[in-house]
Amino acid sequence: MQFKNKWLPYILLSPSLIIILIFLIYPSIDTFRLAFYRVAPFGDRRIFIGFQNYLRLLQDPDYLNAIVISIAFTAFVVIVGLTLSLAIAVLANQRLPGFAIYRTFFIWPYALSPAIAGIVWAFFFDPNVGPIPRLLANQFGTSLNWRADATLAFFLIATAATWKQLGYNIVFFLASLQSIPKELLEAAAIDGAGPPVRFRRIVFPLISPMTFFLVITNTLFAFFETFGLLHVTTQGGPGRATELLIYKLYRDGFESLRSGYASAQSIMLFILVALITILQFRYAQRRVFYQ
Amino acid sequence: MKRWLLGLALAGMLGVLAGALAQTEITFWHAMSGSRQEVVNNLVEAFNTEFPEYEVNAEFTGSYAETLTKAIAAYRAGSPPTIVQVYEVGTQTMLDSDAIVPVYTLNQGEVDFGSFVQPILKYYSYQGELYSMPFNSSTAMLYYNKDVFREAGLDPNRPPRTFDELYEMGLRIVESGAAKGGVSFGWPAWIFEQMFAYHNQFYANNDNGRSGLATEAFINSDFGVQVLGEWQKWTQDGVLVYGGREYSANDPFLAGDFAMLVQSTSSLGGILRKADFEVGTTFLPRLPGYPSGNSVIGGGSLWVMKGASDEQLEAAWAFLQYLGRIDNTIAWHKGTGYFPATNEAVLTLLNEGWFAGEPNALTAFMQILTGVDTPAARGVLLGNFVQIRDIVGAAIEEAVTQNRDPQEALDKAAQEVNRVLSEYSELFGQ
Amino acid sequence: MKARKIITFLLAHLGMLLATLLVLLPILYALLISTQSPSEYYAFPPKLRFGSDWLENYSIAWQQAKLGRLLLNSSFVAIAVALGKIVLSILAAFAFIYFDFRFKVLFFVLILITHMLPLPVRIVPTFELIDQFRWVNSFNALTIPFFASATGVLLFHQLFRTIPRDLADAAVIDGASPLQFLWSILIPLSFTNMAALFLIEFIYMWNQYLWPLIVANFERTRQIQIGLKLLIATDATIDWHIVMAGVMVALLPPLLLLIALQAQFIRGVAMQQEK
Repeated sequence: MQFKNKWLPYILLSPSLIIILIFLIYPSIDTFRLAFYRVAPFGDRRIFIGFQNYLRLLQDPDYLNAIVISIAFTAFVVIVGLTLSLAIAVLANQRLPGFAIYRTFFIWPYALSPAIAGIVWAFFFDPNVGPIPRLLANQFGTSLNWRADATLAFFLIATAATWKQLGYNIVFFLASLQSIPKELLEAAAIDGAGPPVRFRRIVFPLISPMTFFLVITNTLFAFFETFGLLHVTTQGGPGRATELLIYKLYRDGFESLRSGYASAQSIMLFILVALITILQFRYAQRRVFYQ
Repeated sequence: MKRWLLGLALAGMLGVLAGALAQTEITFWHAMSGSRQEVVNNLVEAFNTEFPEYEVNAEFTGSYAETLTKAIAAYRAGSPPTIVQVYEVGTQTMLDSDAIVPVYTLNQGEVDFGSFVQPILKYYSYQGELYSMPFNSSTAMLYYNKDVFREAGLDPNRPPRTFDELYEMGLRIVESGAAKGGVSFGWPAWIFEQMFAYHNQFYANNDNGRSGLATEAFINSDFGVQVLGEWQKWTQDGVLVYGGREYSANDPFLAGDFAMLVQSTSSLGGILRKADFEVGTTFLPRLPGYPSGNSVIGGGSLWVMKGASDEQLEAAWAFLQYLGRIDNTIAWHKGTGYFPATNEAVLTLLNEGWFAGEPNALTAFMQILTGVDTPAARGVLLGNFVQIRDIVGAAIEEAVTQNRDPQEALDKAAQEVNRVLSEYSELFGQ
Repeated sequence: MKARKIITFLLAHLGMLLATLLVLLPILYALLISTQSPSEYYAFPPKLRFGSDWLENYSIAWQQAKLGRLLLNSSFVAIAVALGKIVLSILAAFAFIYFDFRFKVLFFVLILITHMLPLPVRIVPTFELIDQFRWVNSFNALTIPFFASATGVLLFHQLFRTIPRDLADAAVIDGASPLQFLWSILIPLSFTNMAALFLIEFIYMWNQYLWPLIVANFERTRQIQIGLKLLIATDATIDWHIVMAGVMVALLPPLLLLIALQAQFIRGVAMQQEK
């Protein structure tokens, strides 16, 4: 049964739609337009240059580097992060007395911002006072400085990002694990299947939609939500060792003031999001995203 | 009689009130954080007290890049700050912006620009006229840890003067175990620029972009390749420890990880305060066989933006004059380590014996004052300089941390830089 | 047999304890640093205990970064956006479920499409637009563009679909207007979802970085995440004890909210499970 009212639904929708049109749709279309121009820093001079920004982008070694770094970073966050979270979630899912308490703690890192995660791990890796370099210096006499060492800087940001996501991933995995019918597992146990077999044959397939969902959310996180983490730590360095696509976009658009070139990068990111969205509609039921 | 006095007092008060009502407000955006922000705030407050007819509102607006982005946005929205601090790499952008009021047009003879310290004046002048007010000027010099020098059996009062000496002393320090490394740099790409000017080499064509828009960079010249080659050799032998961009090498220097640091003079205050060893400073090391130039000014200057009313321009000019006044520029120097801007201020400092107590503050002065003023030593003006410094910084890092051939790294960088320059001149050409 | 059970039990707890530490240790360690003096945390091996300087560290951090102002700014933005999103999404979801109208599918797609338009894919023109509105350095720039929410609309859309249709029928028969029905029936049924959405959006806004850096890096509007950067000196040794004090202050509000609304959040997650 529906309410009958000619205008009310439009009125109810209008605030959302107006904001979406003005602040989301219009700027998105404008991004396409701007990507065809070379724009002066003050925006007062612009030359139409067709697809040059895109062509340049694909020849720009720094951009290609940013793509490689972003993919490696995302792979690290997704693979290490999800493996670790799933292991912890499986452990925490055991129905043992006292385990409920642990579960409440795992959600805490959800409150962390990427910037804070970055700061905390920048301390852990700090060349002078950080526990990790000092421990290694004590044990092996090595000296580590992430400001000069590209690999270490990459591990710093990847670890920080992975850690920041742990709480979120564990909570979602736990929810998924808890929805597995107990009878299924019990039946399998009676048939003589040990825990590893049960995990491989029953648990893993049943939580695979959740795994897929988390792969998507973590990928989006790694590409779009990590700017603050970089800004407070490596700022893309040393060299360009940690320059993710989002950081390159900021640098070109808001430090070097090249609006057209940055817009072309936005469009490339849009293509990425579109691909992910298509993937999602193809292979998963629609879900609400928790950003 | 009493009533008459009362009337006079009232009239006086009204006058003050009217003055207060007619107060001209201007905004000043800057990128000075931490202890420097305090010094800025003190100067602004003192100005506002001394000149009640004006009110300067100072605002810290993030890093240099962030401040410039915001100023441009504000200008386009029709509400620019009256005065904005812009880093030296933003100079060309500001010159070409058509959004500024050149400082020389404000000067009705109140200030003799000739009294400014010459290298500073020349950096911010374009074709003979001063466009922005020098504010936080610095240059690069060599800091060293005298304790480590002693430990390595070196004379703590005989720091290196040439590349070779630096390399040998660095080796000695590393081999003796006095420190893990010999030397590190802050702002590597800027130090690279310094080397060009210091040895009287042009960094770009058209007189470093000062007689017309630069269209070609000379970073991959024999000189550039030689400098980077030296740096690479130092790294391979453990003498040079790459310390990252900007100021990140200061920490390990303070921790005694390496004995020498080539860094901006603006770090002097911080280093002296935090060092638990005896700090020495000296001129930048030289490569023999090249002529003398001068080290280049870095830091930032103050630009007046269009869009201000005549009263506001008057207030802005009053404020800029105030900052250049002997007592204020001295306070600025003492509080931050940046150069005092005028020759009189330097003289005053000399007379009051300031440098006797702070010999390290004198080093950089002697360096820029004893340098040779040549077109190549006046600093580079490039369009898209932010990006160009970034490209050069990455090339240095490739050579130093990833062992890439210096010629190859600089060739690739030069190609990129030239492309960026041509993009800029396409926009601003003719 | 019984001994074995106890050992398994203890091992499981030990494993859990380690896992919990792995997850929480970095932040706990940061908490300890925020109370220590430099000489305490310069010591090696690290001293894992509270230090003596907490009051000093926190008050320095508080003054240096003007944390009071930052907390106020961030709270205002996070609360305004969370509430705005709740209101707008409920209204939109209500329209979609309980009304028939033209362009319904189009509008629904339009709202869903916002998922494909995160800020980075449109950041330059969005900034220019905000600039044209003269909203740079205003709370408008930090709040209004974020009011629309696909997440929220979907969340309430799902909830309203599960509410029996008879309720609406009965309301119509009783002569209740649509808005009365929304107010007195749907809203009370939505509290759990509202709490979950509030939590998610509050944390999301509180932790934003890129946008506030670009549009609001001024004292009047600066957000706390950006403010933390003020504590990380760029030209001198980093005072980690001060930085960590700032970190703790910035982390506290979202963490407290999370703890308070944990149950609702988990229920929200569980609801996702049921599809």
